[in-house]
Amino acid sequence: MNRAWCRAFTSAGLLLFAVSCHRPLTHVESGGRDQVLHLGNGTEPQGLDPHIVTGVPEHNILSALLEGLVTEDPRTLEVRPGVAESWTLSPDRRVYTFRLRRTARWSNGDALTAHDFAYSFRRILNPALGAQYAYMLHVLRGARAFNKGKAGAGWEGVGVEVLDDHTLRLTLENATPHFLELLNHYSFWPVHPGTLERFGAFAKRGTPWTRPGNFVGNGAFELREWRVNSRIEVAPNPHYWDASNVALKGICFYPIDSADTEERAYRAGFIHRTQTVPIHRIDDLRRRRPGEIRFETYLGTYFYRLNITKKPLDDARVRRALALAVDRAALVSNITRGGQQPAFHFCPPGTGGFTAPSGLKFDVVEARRLIAEYLSATGQARVPPIEILYNTSESHKVIAEAIQGMWRDQLGLDVKLLNQEWKVYLDSVTQTNYFTSRAGWIGDYNDPNTFLDMWLTGGGNNNTGWSSARYDELIRKAAATDDTAARLRCFHEAEEILAREVPVVPLYFYVNVTLRHPTVQGWHPNVLDHHPYQHVRLQAP
Amino acid sequence: MSTHAAPDAGGASLWRDAWLRLRANRMAVAGFVLFGLITFLCLAGPSIFTQHAFDQTQLSEHFRGPDRNHWFGTDALGRDVFVRVLKGGQISLAVGFLATAVSVILGVAYGACSGYAGGRVDMVMMRAVDILYSLPFTIFVILLMVMFGRNFILLFVAIGAVEWLTMARIVRGQVLSLKHAEFVEAARALGFGAPRILAHHILPNLLGPVIIYATLTVPAVMLLEAVLSFLGLGVQPPMSSWGLLIQEGAEKMDIYPWLLLFPALFFSAALFSLNFIGDGLRDALDPRAAKD
Repeated sequence: MNRAWCRAFTSAGLLLFAVSCHRPLTHVESGGRDQVLHLGNGTEPQGLDPHIVTGVPEHNILSALLEGLVTEDPRTLEVRPGVAESWTLSPDRRVYTFRLRRTARWSNGDALTAHDFAYSFRRILNPALGAQYAYMLHVLRGARAFNKGKAGAGWEGVGVEVLDDHTLRLTLENATPHFLELLNHYSFWPVHPGTLERFGAFAKRGTPWTRPGNFVGNGAFELREWRVNSRIEVAPNPHYWDASNVALKGICFYPIDSADTEERAYRAGFIHRTQTVPIHRIDDLRRRRPGEIRFETYLGTYFYRLNITKKPLDDARVRRALALAVDRAALVSNITRGGQQPAFHFCPPGTGGFTAPSGLKFDVVEARRLIAEYLSATGQARVPPIEILYNTSESHKVIAEAIQGMWRDQLGLDVKLLNQEWKVYLDSVTQTNYFTSRAGWIGDYNDPNTFLDMWLTGGGNNNTGWSSARYDELIRKAAATDDTAARLRCFHEAEEILAREVPVVPLYFYVNVTLRHPTVQGWHPNVLDHHPYQHVRLQAP
Repeated sequence: MSTHAAPDAGGASLWRDAWLRLRANRMAVAGFVLFGLITFLCLAGPSIFTQHAFDQTQLSEHFRGPDRNHWFGTDALGRDVFVRVLKGGQISLAVGFLATAVSVILGVAYGACSGYAGGRVDMVMMRAVDILYSLPFTIFVILLMVMFGRNFILLFVAIGAVEWLTMARIVRGQVLSLKHAEFVEAARALGFGAPRILAHHILPNLLGPVIIYATLTVPAVMLLEAVLSFLGLGVQPPMSSWGLLIQEGAEKMDIYPWLLLFPALFFSAALFSLNFIGDGLRDALDPRAAKD
């Protein structure tokens, strides 16, 4: 009897042991075999229509599904041939002629021609679509007039010519040194005309053409599955011109809003890379996972938009006082803690070789003086209350609370906080329905223009109601010249205007703090956080 | 020797009996004392025991463990957790009690009317409750917020307006069974009207289940408040509540345990004492208990 029990226990124990050994492998552990990359992707994408979306999560997915005329080097971001295998530039540097690859295909096997690019450019510039990013294409000759729906400005006037099926000629308004980099932005990526026509999506938003099964792209991957708020999965596109060099067998993007949840998912081996790291964990992760937490320079600015159509923000004195009363050094050293730089101007230092003048500083005395001046000039006893809008996230909340405290303690302002879910928040911002809203801007290419042309009058991402004729003139002048020194002088003065008028309060320059597993190969840190997935492969751990 | 005091004969009132029974229940007394203490701390604490303000940030002091200056440590913004727990308690207790009061008043009145009237009236009234039940809570609250704007009072109303439904059902069921009891028939035979019968004969007999359910409602309401605040519909920062503090603390508990420990201690102590109070009250107020 006794012996029988003994045996029973032993075998039960062995069984348990065996079962525990057969724990299913985590995504990271099986990565080397499966070659499926799992990525935390922040938030559920606004959509997958490259002409409509504006966010970073959307870019991360679209860059797997679509490819522009050019791509970029994963390390240096230098322009590399994409759909265009070569191009020539006219002596006045205004006319680009692209030779498209004959092997370029859509994911349904259709040939990809110059007509498709012309169709795509016409679509995003079509005033009826109301694309926010249409201004990216304003470098093309006649594109602005067409996009603004000016009388007599038809599509024929836009500098896009199809010479033959595989030759596309783009004529620019002015010589633009960073034009080729622009081409790698999703607003310049092609959409499949047949699919769009089938869904009537040429001038219409929100049609189901972006759903799995409908979506036709030309990138290294094709859309396989999209479960809202759960995951988006892409699989290799067999028709991609360079398909034989794509190592990954799939990528899964997980919309994980909460940085804490994402970090747990990473620790559990569920994802290979997080989009961010909860700021209260940075110190701890530095100690415990020194090889996996990465601090990478990132071309981005964290700032607050001020809605100048609302009182009291219609007064430049109040706006400047708000910008002066923020102790950015305390913010970055105590809260964000990732080595971010305090921002006293808008464009990150060194963007395309340009470092802006520090037009702002931390100066409470001056801020108080401005508020007092405002009060006496308007005959008010108190500054009307304002509200900080942020999208729901622990990090944004902590920062908003800190700013709220600074504005209250230093200036005696009544500041409320309001959080909204990402899509609701985007709506509030585009409809200019807020007082001040948290925002971040990541450069689309490495040139000050990507930061500064946002604030043009009526710009698609301006959303502050602010406009300045002199500012518009400077940005246009910078675009019209390719004399580097003259361009930088224009940007310099533009930054001075921003610091004087303060439509936005820059807070700090981003550092990309992420967790990335060492098994991910071919993923190189760069200032735009662009990682062409065709170069990525996974190693066995 | 003068004898003003009436002899302690069978004439003791319901309330006097109840009070005596309650006093004899040690757990209930402990519950009252503890709850009184917590309430006192939350109301008076922020001004008596600490010179910190709940929204005073001191960035350089972030994430300090408990020490002599900050008894419960500090949070991400260097705010004193002690005063935040107390301040959050004010909100949580206020929401808990006001919303519960709303739900008790509405639920008891509605349920008693429905049950006592019976027949078709009862049918209609209860179907109305069923319909309200089927509304998703969050959408209902969002609707309220959109219509009336964000407002703290609305939070009580919204939560109370949802919580009264169960109460109404419980009360109706009790009234249905009570209204044919002999003492109600007797009251009716004596010619009393419906309001008097409801108030004097039926309601005291309802106290048991109502109180039990109310003590269960208080914590449920506090949790709801935390959910709403997280969605941006309830309390807004820098104000806080126990639910919010616990939710924030839970995210960081492996690194900064004090952020979870102290609000959770207060929250659970308050809930424990409320449960004991509820138990004691039920035992004390049950009129049938007196007969044994």
